[in-house]
Amino acid sequence: MKVVIQLENVWKTYRMGKNLIHALQDVSFKINQGEFLVIMGKSGSGKSTMMNVIGCLDIPTKGKLYLDGKDVSKLEESKLAQIRGEKIGFIFQQFNLIPTLTALENVLLPAEFQENDEEKMKQRAVQLLDFVEMKERMYHTPSQLSGGQMQRVAIARALINNPEVILADEPTGALDSKTGEQVMRLLKDLHKKEGKSIVIVTHDYIIAKNAERVIELKDGMVIKEEK
Amino acid sequence: MRWNKAFKIAVNIIVHSKIRSWLTIIGIVIGVAAIIAIVSIGNGFQKNIQQQLGGLGSDTISISSGFDRASECPGPRCRQRPGDAGAATKNPLTNRELQAIRSIPNIAAVNTVVSQSNQVYSLGETATVNIDGVDVKVWKETTTAAMNQGRLLTSGDINVVVVGSVIAKQVFKQPIEVNRPITINGRAFKVIGVLKESGGFGAEDRKIFMPIETARDVFNKTSSQYDSFVVKVKDENQVTAIEAEINKKVDVVRHVTPDTRDFTVISMKTIQERVSAILTGVTLFLGAIAAVSLLVGSVGIANTMFTSVLEKTKEIGIMKALGAKNADILTIFLMNSGLVGLVGGALGTTVGVGIAVLIPKLGVSFVQGGQPLNTDISSQLIIFTLVFSIVLGMVAGAVPAYRASKLKPVDALRFE
Ligand SMILES: Nc1ncnc2c1ncn2[C@@H]1O[C@H](COP(=O)(O)OP(=O)(O)O)[C@@H](O)[C@H]1O
Ligand SMILES: [Mg+2]
Repeated sequence: MKVVIQLENVWKTYRMGKNLIHALQDVSFKINQGEFLVIMGKSGSGKSTMMNVIGCLDIPTKGKLYLDGKDVSKLEESKLAQIRGEKIGFIFQQFNLIPTLTALENVLLPAEFQENDEEKMKQRAVQLLDFVEMKERMYHTPSQLSGGQMQRVAIARALINNPEVILADEPTGALDSKTGEQVMRLLKDLHKKEGKSIVIVTHDYIIAKNAERVIELKDGMVIKEEK
Repeated sequence: MRWNKAFKIAVNIIVHSKIRSWLTIIGIVIGVAAIIAIVSIGNGFQKNIQQQLGGLGSDTISISSGFDRASECPGPRCRQRPGDAGAATKNPLTNRELQAIRSIPNIAAVNTVVSQSNQVYSLGETATVNIDGVDVKVWKETTTAAMNQGRLLTSGDINVVVVGSVIAKQVFKQPIEVNRPITINGRAFKVIGVLKESGGFGAEDRKIFMPIETARDVFNKTSSQYDSFVVKVKDENQVTAIEAEINKKVDVVRHVTPDTRDFTVISMKTIQERVSAILTGVTLFLGAIAAVSLLVGSVGIANTMFTSVLEKTKEIGIMKALGAKNADILTIFLMNSGLVGLVGGALGTTVGVGIAVLIPKLGVSFVQGGQPLNTDISSQLIIFTLVFSIVLGMVAGAVPAYRASKLKPVDALRFE
């Protein structure tokens, strides 16, 4: 099975005045292509930090990160931006849509930073909005949408550049359980139909049941890994 | 990232910008409008003056005895030197000066003039009028006023005069017409011609002209002495050079140096140049004040851009997470501030041109009774101010845009 992402003895250390906070301590694991992985852990256990490292938003203090077999842990920001744009789709707890853009424009935003055929991208964006059942609302701005609807738009946005990996940091954290379930169903669908690697960060055990594999973090260390 | 895509986002930021950004734009609007209006008025005024002065014959040079040193000698206690204007011992011009001037090449004609301010009687009314005795053979070439009625002076004329338009129409209650008898110094004259308005400042409009021989006779002036010469040059472009040459030659004849000079050489061209230089200076000065207000406006842009970048920190983080490079963010925000400059510049240009178009319609003038104030809007000025305001906006936005581009994605995303 092909390995998409590999962490090798990754450390992330923050300095707070004189204190060093080890948000990640010697973390090593692999993410396979097409895998549905859940990362669990209490608040402050280092989940978001790990997500940022996996998603190339931040570089490890120590250790190595391989993406498609290539070491990306020492790359400069513009190269990392390129990787993020092409290979990774982010879904955030707070949706993070741009308030002044319509749903359609939000979905298209990651495509604006890439070389591509604008007309084709627009068609693709409409298809994706259809997939997340938001096509009727594509000219609405975020303020006109509910939380669940915003998160569905955000999922469509994460897919626009056809990334290899979808990273979702507590995607249902800001939603009620019913809309949260809808969003989870959508992500599962995506995994099944498109065969994308999906990594979800959560502290919710019910969500963890959907996973093929669960990694549990505590104090920045992997304490449990189960299939 | 392609320019058009960055532009789209930059426009979106402008369109959704808060009132505050629009208030900043007003700073630019006022600066640009002021520059356009001031420079247009300045240019228009300059054109006005040029036209008025142009009517006085830009190909003539006048030489008169006496030298006005008023500017060098202020105050009542200043003693007048012999030869100064108004001094009793004014040294008249003679045939030697005339010959010296005539020897200069590229001169078409020299009119010799004696002048006298004297009382004139017409139909029981009296007025004091400037009277010029002129060389009738060349006068018609050096004068700029055309005939209104009657004819010009010719050789052999005795006891006849030609009257300027203001003298004819305004000085006496009963307007003077051709064939009207008038009396000067106890001698009777017949008016044979009335001049049209000469335009410009109209010195000729306020004079009465007669043959020089008659004038000498009437006013008991020594023959072969003159009060002034009017030189007409062949080529207008040589006025300045010939003026200098006249000064040099006459200095020698009169045994004076430029410091003790007791005559004055002046041409319309020199006057035009001096007036033009003063006006350009005034326009530049006012324009510079307007430019300072524009500069203050651009500080406002910088301020707004800093706040805008701060407000958009989270969005910058989002865009970076979605694949925006530092250069992309820099481009977007530079375009944004350039656009702010452009919008301000365009609005300011519209307002400025509006003012410049309106002013002539108001019919106001600087000098009472003068020509109405005109404006001259140049397309170069408009293009310059537009480009300038875009550049100004981008310069003002450069530091905030750079700071935005350097934000770390994780930090920006955490920003609330
Ligand atoms: N930028 C930062 N500066 C300092 N400390 C940080 C920073 N980001 C995270 N931390 C610390 O690292 C630890 C892990 O944080 P985080 O990854 O956000 O945990 P989780 O997402 O599991 O709640 C926490 O102790 C947090 O305070
Ligand atoms: Mg977290």
